[in-house]
Amino acid sequence: MTNHANTVETEQCAGHVLVRLGGEVDLSWSQDVRRAVLAALQGGLPVGVDLAAVDYIDSSGIAALVEGLQGARSRGVAFALIAVSAQVRAVLELARLDRVFTLAATTDEAFAGP
Amino acid sequence: MLHHGVGTLAFLAELSQALAVSLDLETTLAETVDRVLGFMQAEAASLFLIETDGSRSVLQCHICAGPIDVRGLRLALGQGVVGRAVAENAIQLVTDAAHDPRVWRAADETHAFDTRSLVCAPLATAAGPIGALEIINRRDGRPFTAADAELLGVIAAPAALAINNARMARDLVQQQRLKREFDLARRLQRSLLPRRRRDGFPIVAVNRPAHEVSGDFYDYFDLPDGRIGFVVGDVSGKGMDAALLMVRAASLLRWLGMESPAPADWLARANRELCLTAQDGRFVCALVGCCDADATRVRFAGAGFPPVLVWRDGTFTEYAAGGPPLGIAADMTFAEMDIALDQGTLYAYSDGATDVRAADGRPIGTAGIRELIARHAAAAPEARLRALLAELRHMRLVDDTTLLTIEAAHGGQPERVLERRIRAAPEELRGLRVALRGALDGLGVEPELRDRLVLAIDEACANIIRHGYGPDGDGHIELRLTREGNLLSFELCDQAPCADPQRLRPRPLGECRSGGFGLALIDAVMDDWQLEPAPGGCGNRLTLRKRIACIDDEDSDGS
Repeated sequence: MTNHANTVETEQCAGHVLVRLGGEVDLSWSQDVRRAVLAALQGGLPVGVDLAAVDYIDSSGIAALVEGLQGARSRGVAFALIAVSAQVRAVLELARLDRVFTLAATTDEAFAGP
Repeated sequence: MLHHGVGTLAFLAELSQALAVSLDLETTLAETVDRVLGFMQAEAASLFLIETDGSRSVLQCHICAGPIDVRGLRLALGQGVVGRAVAENAIQLVTDAAHDPRVWRAADETHAFDTRSLVCAPLATAAGPIGALEIINRRDGRPFTAADAELLGVIAAPAALAINNARMARDLVQQQRLKREFDLARRLQRSLLPRRRRDGFPIVAVNRPAHEVSGDFYDYFDLPDGRIGFVVGDVSGKGMDAALLMVRAASLLRWLGMESPAPADWLARANRELCLTAQDGRFVCALVGCCDADATRVRFAGAGFPPVLVWRDGTFTEYAAGGPPLGIAADMTFAEMDIALDQGTLYAYSDGATDVRAADGRPIGTAGIRELIARHAAAAPEARLRALLAELRHMRLVDDTTLLTIEAAHGGQPERVLERRIRAAPEELRGLRVALRGALDGLGVEPELRDRLVLAIDEACANIIRHGYGPDGDGHIELRLTREGNLLSFELCDQAPCADPQRLRPRPLGECRSGGFGLALIDAVMDDWQLEPAPGGCGNRLTLRKRIACIDDEDSDGS
């Protein structure tokens, strides 16, 4: 299994905000993830959370993403999970949340369209 | 420049096309030589290919056209004009053969042929020349010209390409056939190894070939008097012939052992039999012996085999008894030894285990094996051998490796796979996951299920940390993973205030709410779980169980 460092980075892109996560999202720092995701919603732009470098995620990490989705819905902005790693996808499927989230390969794919 | 005009281009185009679509190379090449003969207006033409004859490479005439048949003629590289064309990878033009020192005249004398002029072009490929195309004597009696030489060089190019392609295709087919045969041999060898026995059987063994097939083997079997016979063997050499000798030695040692399990006699008889048929200096190293069903005493003898190690109460004792390897000299005698195990564990290992290379490239030796055994001594026999093998494979395995242990079975106790104690803090979870992942890998649990099990245990621990101990709590969590057959049990003990099982209710999955679905994930992954007060009145014990499809010990660790 690949080992990415635990990271959360927020990037202001053209027309959306991208939160890039890496490493093993668990109880030890999922609150940081939660704060970053909620902060990204503040600007009112669509938010993508890039999960390509996430090797592990537990229910507290998933909860942060759920909270992000709910926050986005209440603001009426788009919220998508980008480049979801196989490990994260397996947990989303186990939690039956894989169809609740918008999953996309790229932000272009997620936020394109009308 | 070529001066042959349109006719040349047409000829080349036709030739290239014929070669490119050629399915039967022999026929096409014969046709090519005929066509070259006609087109170049030569009296004779021949095609030589480099053949490897043992360690030596020679040029052999493959196809020829003209008045005499020189097929099969062999030349050393560098010999004659053909040899020189290949050795120098350059076209050779001989205008006056009678006075040219490059010409090897013996061929003419043998075949009563008068070579006047000739051209020879190497069949060049990216990896160097693979042969040469030669034309001899212009039919009009004049010597060949530089333009003829250049033209032959152009003709040689597509011929070389076609031969090369055909050879690569043939090699590929051969490789695939060899691979299938090795796979078959490997499966056959595996089928000879005894099945793992779980009924309190004292012997466990593992075998890992360094290559496709193994020269190592192990065996164990019940003897009529209730004792158990065992064998570990190591056939010299590698590859298919060693594998075949292994098959023979394994069956011979099994039958002799069943007939007369006195180790010294057993080896002496096997030695005599193997000496009758041993060949090519091959020999067999082996350890044979027997123990009683409850593994209190072990009697054994070795033939060119590393000494056995016994681990008792935290120290090693080395025992060596026996004689030389089997199959070298017929009249050998072997010494045997009878030892008490005293609740210890006997380790027998083929020299592949000590030949394993550490990071610095040196064999780990007996000291390395001792260190590994000591490190994993606490684990149950099967888990221990799997861990040892995993560590050996993590280093560089250069030889087939076999490990066999004998120890008294612990009366149907579940096998302890992992025990870990962590501080009840979120930052401790990562280390626990790593340990658990490793232990499940060691059991051969497939990755998808492994990740789910790790997630479920991580969720359970997170719940203990968050809800059991709470933000101000301070304590520990103990994880104990045991296995009974195909049933895995994960036990998590804490010293947190007693939890009320009635209050633990999973939220439905798929519900879009943050939080609260850790338990639901556990439910989805595990077959069942149970929370009860820990024995002793303080804390809780959470037991989670999962029956896994089948842990196949022989194949689980892949290859």
